[in-house]
Amino acid sequence: MKRKTLVIFSLLCILLVFSFVLANFAGRSGISLNKTIYYLLHPFSSGMERDIIWQIRFPRVVLGVLVGAALASCGVVFQGLLRNPLAESYTLGTSGGAAFGASLAVVLKLSGTYMPVFAFAGSLMSIFLVYGIASRKQFSNSTLILGGVVLSYLFSSLVLLIFSLSKAEEVHGVILWLMGDLSSAAISVIKVAPFFIIPSIIVFFIFSRDLNILTLGEDKAAHLGVNNEKVRKILFVASSCMAGACVAAAGVIGFVGLIVPHFVRRIVGVDHRLVLPASCLVGAIFLILCDVVARNIIYPLELPVGVITGIFGGIFFLSFLWKTGRWRIF
Amino acid sequence: MKNVLEIRNLFCSYGARRVIDGISFAVEKGEFLGIIGPNGVGKTTLFRAISGLLKSVDGKILFREKNVSEISPRDFASEVAVIPQNLEVPFDFTVEEFVLMGRFSRIGRFESLKKRDYAVLDEVLCLTDTSSLRGRKISELSGGEKQRVIIAQGFAQEPSLLLLDEPTSALDIGHKVRILDLVKRLKKKQALTVVAVFHDLNLAAGYCDRLILLRQGKVFASGAPEEVLTYQNIEEVYKTLVVVKENPISGNPCVFLVSEEERISHEKKRID
Repeated sequence: MKRKTLVIFSLLCILLVFSFVLANFAGRSGISLNKTIYYLLHPFSSGMERDIIWQIRFPRVVLGVLVGAALASCGVVFQGLLRNPLAESYTLGTSGGAAFGASLAVVLKLSGTYMPVFAFAGSLMSIFLVYGIASRKQFSNSTLILGGVVLSYLFSSLVLLIFSLSKAEEVHGVILWLMGDLSSAAISVIKVAPFFIIPSIIVFFIFSRDLNILTLGEDKAAHLGVNNEKVRKILFVASSCMAGACVAAAGVIGFVGLIVPHFVRRIVGVDHRLVLPASCLVGAIFLILCDVVARNIIYPLELPVGVITGIFGGIFFLSFLWKTGRWRIF
Repeated sequence: MKNVLEIRNLFCSYGARRVIDGISFAVEKGEFLGIIGPNGVGKTTLFRAISGLLKSVDGKILFREKNVSEISPRDFASEVAVIPQNLEVPFDFTVEEFVLMGRFSRIGRFESLKKRDYAVLDEVLCLTDTSSLRGRKISELSGGEKQRVIIAQGFAQEPSLLLLDEPTSALDIGHKVRILDLVKRLKKKQALTVVAVFHDLNLAAGYCDRLILLRQGKVFASGAPEEVLTYQNIEEVYKTLVVVKENPISGNPCVFLVSEEERISHEKKRID
């Protein structure tokens, strides 16, 4: 068991490095693989090709790694906290709130730097709203999911309302962003996003043993010594901040938080001390590879990466359900 | 410090419905106390209150003369193990992972499991006859195996007070007796105090030093099994006709059920 785990993690790390280089290499400027590796290893060289890699591709790939890891680990935490296999930052209303915030920014003619801020605020608002609804009912898990779904519908109606009231050219950018897009990756976003994502991941790791026990339900968790309320609050706030940061940086990328944890659990088991790090790695690999596909599949056009994750994710999920033949996901 | 657990004038309600209506009792160290009563009488609520899960509680619940609400979950868990009737485990842990969760309250956040934890694991698996299940997934277990694994997890906490909420309802009679024998053995060996909810009155009579019979959220009768398990008490509380006889080997009271048909034919015979 110990050895198997070690092998899996080493393989995942190798795969991540490989995908990272591939994602920096794949593109339409025709920079060779050797040169890509050379420039990646020599950040202080000069030339146009160096700038393409370090100023355009590298930030995008790094953002992909961060967002992929964040979305996947967020999914793990939400699923564990809610004991619900369908919980994800998006089924909890985060995307709806973020989309609403972003559209609001457009309507108020505040697009540009304000859009991510509005999106972040919107997702946090929706999560705390859902939390508020559910904690009134003593934080029942079904209420939480139900609240999230209802809120998502409400927000998407509001977004459509805003769209129908604005001019087509104004909303085009928001629509692309709503589909999930890493292309806006500017150095400024990359400088901010890690401050939300990395500390949250560390918090997840610290509480991963608690999370294991929380999956047994609140009563049993309390009986085994978990400080339910405190731990739940900490994990909830951390994952909300993270989900908000992801949406602000890369728009609405669905399915990563849903599929990656399910896939990982099949390989490493359900212990969160393994599931969390493995999900971070697989999430990062999955998202940057999806982005490679999105950038190159219908050259010269670029697809939003959310479309690719949605298609891959949906097919994967359906075939998975088809094979197991029953709705048992854990 | 004789009383491990003391309940003073406890009232609990869910909304407007009062479930526990003024209960007081104390449990001495090393005692095996059984709580019996019909469905919905508040046994599970009482357990939830004792383990600090209920917030709207009136009255006092003292564990070693300390209010349970003032004890941190971690400290409480390393003294008290609560074993539920049934536990839903949505994530498919292995038996080993699951039982080791019982060690949570005894390991620091940044510590890993030590030799001692694995020694306890081996011991409790052996005690509950689950060593062979060690690597299996929880979803692969039968009802009885799962129940024994849940009990093993509770033992892994190394508690001084064990709260059992109908711990053996899913087990066959062989495992029922083995588990309760084990609890009794541990009780003697480690001065373990046990409070258990029972549906099976004969098991309660066979294993408990003292019984508390609840009716409508109040203590109806309490005392030694033979004092509590009289046919008058049982018929009054359960609204069922029973015959109470002595167990020929142990001398404990034994409750026999009488079906309607048998009752009628018996009465007819008596009239004839």
